[in-house]
Amino acid sequence: MKETQPPAPESSEKWEVQLRKGSLELAILAALWEGRLYGLEILRHLEGNSDLIVSEGTAYPLLNRLRTLGLVETEWVESDSGHPRKYYQLTAAGRQRAIEMSRIWARFSASMGGLLTPLNAEVSEELRKEEP
Amino acid sequence: MTLSTVSQKTIDDYLAALRKQLRELLDEDAKDIVDEIRTHILDKTSGDDSADTIAATLAALGAPEELASRYRTEALLKRAQMARTPAFILRSSIRWAALSLAGVVVFAVSVVGFTLGGGLVLIAALKVVWPSGTGLWKTVNADSTWSLGLGFSNHPGTGQDLLGWWLLPLGLLLGSGILFLTFRFGLWSIRRFWRPRAWR
Repeated sequence: MKETQPPAPESSEKWEVQLRKGSLELAILAALWEGRLYGLEILRHLEGNSDLIVSEGTAYPLLNRLRTLGLVETEWVESDSGHPRKYYQLTAAGRQRAIEMSRIWARFSASMGGLLTPLNAEVSEELRKEEP
Repeated sequence: MTLSTVSQKTIDDYLAALRKQLRELLDEDAKDIVDEIRTHILDKTSGDDSADTIAATLAALGAPEELASRYRTEALLKRAQMARTPAFILRSSIRWAALSLAGVVVFAVSVVGFTLGGGLVLIAALKVVWPSGTGLWKTVNADSTWSLGLGFSNHPGTGQDLLGWWLLPLGLLLGSGILFLTFRFGLWSIRRFWRPRAWR
């Protein structure tokens, strides 16, 4: 089970991978905004609501880090499935961090959007072609 | 839901390998991680525990060594981020001192080290501002005994300055050396002996 080779440095896939990695923390905090979830629920939430492809092997260690940073807290809860599950829940610090990060995100994406305006025509043309 | 013996063994082997790779972590933390990964595998394979599904689930998690190394990296990053300043070392060792004797020792050494090192650097700096008043003073008393005093004197005339301008490089060097060693010592003891659980 070898890890897949990272794409060549010059490729835009590599850039996309970095972009996803960088946003994962915020995406997880946002997923927990409405209430507690266990690991697999978080993964499914991310897959269902975005095209953030998250590997389990990345998400669980990251969740563990968010816990040691005090942004989330965990609790084992009994379930109908026969085994207890580890639930994650935002702490006050986590809620605070999520708000700060979304603010930065919104500002960043607005200024990036402005910079990318000249490319709009081209890109929407390409997107239209891609759609079935 | 009952897994076939073979499937159960595949999963058990994976979890045992993961547990072994996580041995650097606290038992409690490692167990928590392994338990969580176990429930993840059970959830993913409930309803379909074919060998293929199990293999796919384990593949998505990555090899035990890989997964464990991600956990370890996250833990190390966290500790490195936290421990970067003398203020951090003092603050943590105060809290640590409340918990154990080792903490008291580390706190005491840090306070003495930072004060001594900081003092030496300060005296070297004073030498620049007030060259004639700052020095390593040898004072001969009336009964012909003598005493040494380092630092700032209001009566430069009564003693003999043993170092002169040498005070500047020596003070800086010795002072920053002591500061650095104290810092490294504090960092090292916190990383080495303070169990991560105590952070919270």
